[in-house]
Amino acid sequence: MSRVIRTTVLAVLGLIWLLPVYLLVINAAKAPATFTTTQSWKPTDFSLLDNFGEAVRLSGLSESIVATLIYALVAPAIAVVVGAAAGFAIVALKLKRGFLWFVVIFGGTVFPIQMILLPLFDAYSRMSLFDTKLGMIIVYAAVSIPFSAFVMRNFFTGIAHNVFEAAVIDGASTWRIFARVYLPMASSALVAIFILQATFIWNDFLLGLVLSQSGDVRPIVTSLAGMQSTYGGAQMSVVLAGGLLVSLPTVVLFLFTQKFFARGLALGQY
Amino acid sequence: MASADEPVRARSRRGADRYRWSARGFVAPGVFLVAVLLYLPLLWTTFLSLTDYNGLRDPEWTGIDNYTEMFSDPQFVGSMLNTLLWVAGTLIVPVGIGLGVALLTWNLKGGTWLRLPFLIPYALSGIGVGVIWSFILGSNGALDQALAAFGIADTPRWLLDSPLNTIVMIGATAWQGVGVNALLFTIGLQSIPKEPLEAARLDGATGFRLFRSILWPMLRPLTAVVVGLSIVASLKTFDIVQGMTKGGPGQSSETLALTMYKKTFVNSDYGLGSAIAVFLTVVTLIASILYLRQQLSSKHEG
Repeated sequence: MSRVIRTTVLAVLGLIWLLPVYLLVINAAKAPATFTTTQSWKPTDFSLLDNFGEAVRLSGLSESIVATLIYALVAPAIAVVVGAAAGFAIVALKLKRGFLWFVVIFGGTVFPIQMILLPLFDAYSRMSLFDTKLGMIIVYAAVSIPFSAFVMRNFFTGIAHNVFEAAVIDGASTWRIFARVYLPMASSALVAIFILQATFIWNDFLLGLVLSQSGDVRPIVTSLAGMQSTYGGAQMSVVLAGGLLVSLPTVVLFLFTQKFFARGLALGQY
Repeated sequence: MASADEPVRARSRRGADRYRWSARGFVAPGVFLVAVLLYLPLLWTTFLSLTDYNGLRDPEWTGIDNYTEMFSDPQFVGSMLNTLLWVAGTLIVPVGIGLGVALLTWNLKGGTWLRLPFLIPYALSGIGVGVIWSFILGSNGALDQALAAFGIADTPRWLLDSPLNTIVMIGATAWQGVGVNALLFTIGLQSIPKEPLEAARLDGATGFRLFRSILWPMLRPLTAVVVGLSIVASLKTFDIVQGMTKGGPGQSSETLALTMYKKTFVNSDYGLGSAIAVFLTVVTLIASILYLRQQLSSKHEG
C-alpha cells in the first residue's frame, strides 16, 4: 500500500480516536450554568480551572489525591525492592530450589483479584487495617510483588555470575553487593517496573472500593466513581473535569515514558 | 557469622552453601507477603465457597450447594454469556485494530506520531473511560446529537438494551486498548530480521501476501501473548461496566466479576460469591495455560 494511503488511513482513524478526548476537554471546560446536554460538540466557555476546583471541593478529591500519591509512590517502591531481593536470592545467591520459590511468588499473579477480596475485607476488618493507609499500602505492594520478582529474576539472569564473585573477593557483604552492585545495575528495569505498577495503583478501583471508605484513605479513582454516581446528572461538566483531572497524571507519565512502558511490558512477557 | 578477616579461599570453597541463610533472608519478605496476602485469602475463599456464610455466624459446611445454586441461576448464566461476549469482542476488536495500526505505521515516516492518538487513552483508568463514554453514549448524548445532525433521529438506546450495552462497552474498551496492542505489535515487527523480508520482496511478495507468508508466522509468538493477555483481562472485566451501567439495567450487562462483587458485598452471600470467584479463577487459569502452551509450542516450531 502506498505511503500516502497509509498515512491518510492512519490520520483519519487517529482523528476519530481523538474525538472522545476532544469531547471530554471542551465539555469539562463548560461552567455548570452554561453546560447543556444538547450542544456537546461546540466549545462555549473556558471554566476548566473553576470546574477542577469544584470537583475537588465536591468529592473531597484533594484528600484522595494525597492518599493515592502515597500509595502510588510507596507501594511500588516496596514491591520493586522486595522483588529484586527475591530475584537476587534466586539468581546471585543460588537459593536452593530457587525455581520453585520463584514459581510460588510469581503464581500470586495468575488468579483474579476477586479470589482474595472477601478474606482481605474480613481480615482487614478484624485487624483494624480496614480503611487505613497502611492497609492499602500493604495490599498494593503485595499484588505488585509477583510481577516485580518475575522481571527482576529475568534481568539478573542476564548478569554474569563473576560480577558477584568479584564483589565477594573484594570483601563485600551480600547486603552490600545487593544494594551497591546489583540494584544500580538494574536501575532501568527497576524504573520500568515502578512506572507500570504506579500507573496500575493510581488507576485501581476495586481494591479501593472494598478496603476503604473514608475520604482521606479512598484512592482517587474510587472517589471519582462515587462522584460520578452522585453528581453525574446535575453537574456533568464538573464530573468530566474530575475525570480529566484524575486521568492527567497517568496519561502524561505514560506518554513521556512510552519506551520504559514498552520495555516493562516486554520484560514481563518473555 | 564469618569474621571479616577469614581467608577468601575458605569462603569460595564453601560455595553456595555459605549463602544458604542469606539467600533465604533475601527471598523471605517476598514469599511472606505473597503467602499472607494472596495465598491465604485464596485458600480461605476456596473453603468459603463450600459453606453458607454471611459474615455474622460461623461458616456452615454445605458441600457443593453453592455451585449447584450458581449454575441453576439464570442471572449467573446471563453474566457468563456476557463475559463470553467480552472475551470474543476484545479478542477481535482491540487486538485486530492494534495489529492493523502496527502494520500501517510499520516503516512509515512519522509513524511514531501517527500512533500517538491511539496511545493517549491507554493509561486512563477504567472509571475514567466510563465517565467519558457514559457522557457520549447517554440518551441524547454526544453520539445521538452527531447522528441527529446526519438526520438519524431514531437512535438505539446504547446503554439500556442488552446485548447492545455490552457491545458498546466493548467498543469503549477497544478505544482504550488498541494503542498498547499496536505498541506491542510494533516491537514485534521491528524485531523481524531483514533478510527474509528482502528475499520475499525480491520474489515479488507485497501487501497481503507478504503479511501472510512472512509477517504473520514471525509474529505468532507475540500474537499468542497479546491474545492470552487480552483473554485473561477480559475475563476479569469489572471497572468499566461498574462505571458505565453498574451491570444494569437489571442484571443485563453484568459480567462474572460484577456478579461476584454484588453477591458478596451487596447481598452478603459470601458462600455464593466465593463460588463465583472460584469459577472465575478456574476459567482464567485454563485460559492462561492454553496461551502459555501455545506460546511454548510456537517457540519449538521456530
